[in-house]
Amino acid sequence: MLFARKARETAPERTPPAVINELVEIAEYISHLRQEIAALRANEITRDRIPMAHEELGNVLAATAGATNQIMASAEAMLALPDDDYRENVEAKIYEIFEACAFQDITGQRISKVVEALRQLELRLARFANAVKARDESGIDPTESERRARAERLLLNGPQIGGPATSQDDIDALFA
Amino acid sequence: MALDLSMPILVVDDYQTMVRIIRNLLKQLGFEEVDDASDGTAALARLKSRKYGLVISDWNMEPMTGYELLRHVRADESLRTTPFIMVTAESKTENVIAAKKAGVNNYIVKPFNAATLKSKIEAVCGA
Repeated sequence: MLFARKARETAPERTPPAVINELVEIAEYISHLRQEIAALRANEITRDRIPMAHEELGNVLAATAGATNQIMASAEAMLALPDDDYRENVEAKIYEIFEACAFQDITGQRISKVVEALRQLELRLARFANAVKARDESGIDPTESERRARAERLLLNGPQIGGPATSQDDIDALFA
Repeated sequence: MALDLSMPILVVDDYQTMVRIIRNLLKQLGFEEVDDASDGTAALARLKSRKYGLVISDWNMEPMTGYELLRHVRADESLRTTPFIMVTAESKTENVIAAKKAGVNNYIVKPFNAATLKSKIEAVCGA
């Protein structure tokens, strides 16, 4: 901005005013862009928020795996219990299952933090894209394209939101 | 024909919790000879080393998916008649049809219970 103003003041007389004005506009645009990039706080995202999201999700994975293993180990132990003192032993295992279910509270809090980090990221990127009138580049990276093609061809995408796409009964009809 | 409870069964899933769930359900149904593998490649090696009466496989696995494993099994002269049940969380009709065309004997949508598993094993292995 300062540079553009100085350029206008010190420009040789032979420089056409239209060119000067265009340079000033470019300088103003660059200045605006720098403000928007600063508002993205990209360093904060890569330094704090993304690693935090990775760590939290990793912990969620470990907590759910740990809890599931504990619940299943307790259930397996119950199945193998001898008849003597059966009720007392089953109750002890049931309390272990209750304890393992505490993971839900902890993982819920961790997931909320990740959701908030993603919301912040989305807001900042949307604001930036809007400020610079960014359009998505057409086409996709060849490696990503290959990965998508393989996934499309061979891998499924996991559970559908809202239940299975085709019910077990409909699938059974296909095999009848 | 009654179910042969002594037949070895191979469970293929990259998610150890699911392997454990299926193992326990099979145990509940009376099957004791259960092996497992974590993807299609490991499963193929096991299938070459032992004769299995049934394969129960997940679809989503890397590096070899359950669908690729199924195609390998059906293309292999010594394995092609091995009964194969696909167990997956996704159930788009086109995927079910693709698996059926590739030679799958039955298809179970996760989550499922012991009764569903039993009825599919009976349908595939004869009861």
